[in-house]
Amino acid sequence: MHFAMPPRKTSRPPPYAARNQSGRIAIPPALRNLLRTRAGQLLVAGVTCVFLLIWLLSGGGTSSTRAAKVGGWTAASIPKVAVGTGPPVVVVTVIDPQADPAWIDKIRNNREEYAKRHGYQTFFPTPSQYPLKSSPTSWSRVPAIRHAIALYPGCTFIWYLDATALIMNPSIPLHTSVLAPPKLESLMISNAPVVPPDSVIKTFSNLKGDRIDFIVTQDKDGLAPSSFVIRNGEWAKFFLDAWFDPIYRSYNFQKAETHALEHIVQWHGTILAKLAIVPQNILNAYASGPASDTNGSFNEGDLVANFPGCDRDARDCFKEQHAYWEILEQGGK
Amino acid sequence: MSRSPSPHGGWSSPGLNTSYDNGGRHSPYVKGSSSHNVTWASAQARSAEVKGYPGFTPRNQGFFGKHFRRISTSLPFTHGDKEKLGRGRPPANKMMQLLTHIGRTLWRLRKIVALVLLVLLIPMLRNSNTALRRTWRRSPWLGGGSKYVVILAANQGGGVMEWKGPREWAIERDSVKNKKKYTRNWGYDLEIVDMSTKKRYAHEWRESWEKVDTIRNAMRKYPHAEWFWWLDTNTFIMEPTYSIQNHIFNQIRDVTYRDINIYNPLNITHPLTDEYLDPETRSLVGDGKIDSVNMLVPQDCGGFNLGSFLVRRSVWTDRLLDIWWDPVAYEQKHMEWEHKEQDAFEYMYQNQPWIRPHVAFIQQRQIMSFPPGACGEKGDDPNIHYQEKDRDFLVNMAGCEWGRDCWGEMYKYRQLSNHLNRTYWEKFKDGLSDFFTRKVKKEDKKKN
Repeated sequence: MHFAMPPRKTSRPPPYAARNQSGRIAIPPALRNLLRTRAGQLLVAGVTCVFLLIWLLSGGGTSSTRAAKVGGWTAASIPKVAVGTGPPVVVVTVIDPQADPAWIDKIRNNREEYAKRHGYQTFFPTPSQYPLKSSPTSWSRVPAIRHAIALYPGCTFIWYLDATALIMNPSIPLHTSVLAPPKLESLMISNAPVVPPDSVIKTFSNLKGDRIDFIVTQDKDGLAPSSFVIRNGEWAKFFLDAWFDPIYRSYNFQKAETHALEHIVQWHGTILAKLAIVPQNILNAYASGPASDTNGSFNEGDLVANFPGCDRDARDCFKEQHAYWEILEQGGK
Repeated sequence: MSRSPSPHGGWSSPGLNTSYDNGGRHSPYVKGSSSHNVTWASAQARSAEVKGYPGFTPRNQGFFGKHFRRISTSLPFTHGDKEKLGRGRPPANKMMQLLTHIGRTLWRLRKIVALVLLVLLIPMLRNSNTALRRTWRRSPWLGGGSKYVVILAANQGGGVMEWKGPREWAIERDSVKNKKKYTRNWGYDLEIVDMSTKKRYAHEWRESWEKVDTIRNAMRKYPHAEWFWWLDTNTFIMEPTYSIQNHIFNQIRDVTYRDINIYNPLNITHPLTDEYLDPETRSLVGDGKIDSVNMLVPQDCGGFNLGSFLVRRSVWTDRLLDIWWDPVAYEQKHMEWEHKEQDAFEYMYQNQPWIRPHVAFIQQRQIMSFPPGACGEKGDDPNIHYQEKDRDFLVNMAGCEWGRDCWGEMYKYRQLSNHLNRTYWEKFKDGLSDFFTRKVKKEDKKKN
């Protein structure tokens, strides 16, 4: 190719070629020549020897003379299952064996159908399996979740759902439509008082969805641990064990585990930092009872309809839920 | 067509520039000119950013390169036998000439000068050696000393509760001096904390429960440290030549036990058997890996002892420090929990299963020997009490404020430690003086 004019010379001259290749240590030529001579090599060797000697003499410190062998523990052969390799969600419902067996069957079916549809697992323990001692049976949900983690160590989430609640919209897959980080970030209520109307402790406002380990809702009175999700992991063990501490169970909190939960959430930052509060109808819409004013009552299409307290006193869950069972059965057909 | 590029005039001719730059020659602008429509200023800024090729690189930029020639030429040389030496060699070998010259002069001045030089050089080397050694021991990739922080509680119980007398001051002074020397030698960090009782909390609940806050503050203050070693005031490091690394962490499997049944003064049921717990929590030793140990606690005859213990920076520790103090627990137990954090931790260890897989117990004498009077009057329990011949690491004069003589004990152990760790020269001197005093005594006896 021919140009009219030869290419212009640059206004900035290229740097002088380095004498040494870049990356090598620049040794002055005189010194390098010295290093090439025998005397120079001897000198360098001598200096190195002196430093080596000093280092050897100064010593790395005496180790203890008495190594009392008391332990000698070795790695235990416990199969370690990575979180995320199992089912995405395990649905846990503690079932009181003294309740109406027909109702229990229906509740079980309700969970199992939902789980089958999305590839989840279910777990239905009874309170008598756990060392509750004299504390109310409602505490059994805490060890039940721990139990589910032990049974499904590879699961990602545990969803605890009270026996009083029905899954009304089984087409909603929990792990993608609620628990996926971006979805969760859009749902969670940040900077809101943990206990409604005026707790000074508020949820953090700068949390990321993938750092959330505990998703719960609020009803009118406060936190509603009748339906909540916990991410499987070390934090879950810490949280559940702290919650289940006998010191809280023996304290006579008015509402047992609910108030204990409100207490630990408000007093311990490592727990509050993992908490996300989502609108009540996402996880725990109330068909009856003290629902949150803004978004607590059940509307068609909500995932869950809860009848809090229907298993207590002289109430009958089966009867109260009758209309909802019918809707479910019609939907099924 | 302007041939003079002006950096100030907003010169912008990407086309021209690009064709030139891509013309095969290696130029500093190659990186900047990949995108078109660049102004001169932006291209220059970008190439300055890249810094792949500095605009002008004079050779020999370092100090030695700059000055070597001047130093070497300004030194006196004898040029008499240059011809003979230089034959067949590069003529620029001035350093060699300098050295041979020095050597020859030394030889001429005989060994006196050499001796004087040596005498001057040795202390210099020694000094530089200690400084060198300290940096060596401190650096995280060589000695690793900066990974350890010693937290020393000073002023325990002082402040509003009682006044400190001269003895208390002396104890504190000795204890602090001892740890300062130790941490300086090994390149650890020392954090001295004032534990005087203060009305720090408005509700006064948390009075003297500051261990947790203190450890947390230390973790914030030393963000690169890994292990934090808590020490009470009434402790004395008997063997400053033991490093924590060698003494504990390099043999951690042997000097610690994770199965509390090995020594179980509190009769804690272990392992947990509840079927709702996962296998790791139910295991005797957790998962049995070294990384899962986040806390090293000694046990004395009465159970856990938090007078000298280690915690590691970890998520687990963060949670533990957070849950350690709880108002509900405090309200129910503060009368019962005489030893505050220590009792609370014992309680948590028993009742919160998540803690067990991450706690290892360290054999008491490995980290905290007791003097006679603590856990037995005689002081002869080989698992608990200080043994001189085994050269135990540290003495914890636990409980000396309850009817024992703290200062007396501190003094005794300080003297003993000094005696045991004499230098060879001191041993030699002591040996000599012993020898003579014995002789004199014998002669006295003979005379009598």
